[in-house]
Amino acid sequence: MIKYILAVLFFAALVLIYIGLYLMNKKTPLPEGCENLKADCEGCHDYACLHNPAHKEKEGN
Amino acid sequence: MGELITLLVTCVLINNVILNQFLGMCPFMGVSKKQSSALGMGVAVVFVIVVAALVTYGLYYLVLVPLGLEFMELITFILVIASLVQLTEMFIKKYSPSLYKSLGVYLPLITTNCVVLNVCLINITNAYDFSHMLVYSVGTPLGFALVLYIFSTIRERLDLSSVPKAFQGNGIALICAAIMSMAFSGLAGIV
Repeated sequence: MIKYILAVLFFAALVLIYIGLYLMNKKTPLPEGCENLKADCEGCHDYACLHNPAHKEKEGN
Repeated sequence: MGELITLLVTCVLINNVILNQFLGMCPFMGVSKKQSSALGMGVAVVFVIVVAALVTYGLYYLVLVPLGLEFMELITFILVIASLVQLTEMFIKKYSPSLYKSLGVYLPLITTNCVVLNVCLINITNAYDFSHMLVYSVGTPLGFALVLYIFSTIRERLDLSSVPKAFQGNGIALICAAIMSMAFSGLAGIV
């Protein structure tokens, strides 16, 4: 039983670390001249990727 | 020592993650159109894989095994990789703007690169000791970067050549990848 409680606690700790790092990364200001960096990518079938042009099309609509 | 060199040659050339195991195909096709972007992605992948392998290896043997939580390895490794990418991006943003300019766009893409998870899991399932783990974790992304760079030079030349309309774009790129895969399989005899 303790093993499963430890597993849940360990998982929760990892998720909290990820959320914390994500928020810290988001708050970190971009260096000068890096505001409009674009990838040389025309998109693949990975629609979860933020560089996929499908997201820009949605914003345009 | 000879065994480590054999492992290095094997994971860079013979058991190449892209051409032999067909992992990491998304960045292979998506970021191989220009030499500069292929090089940037290659360097970023090498850095993240080496750090992720060291952290996950330590976490597995120092935390998961003593607590009897070996069944948590997959979910742990996924979260560690995602967190490491965020941490790496944050540090590069803050302390090396020039490096961020060349790598920044490609760093978040590495979270979805299955090569990273593959290296972390193989280190555990093959029960590598520290030196073997380090060699495997350096060799695999080096093989990835090497193939990505070679393929980008081929694709730049393909842009200048006349290709039949039906094969243009990803079609001819996949044919070239298949030929490269066959060429690399010929290196199996060197070990």
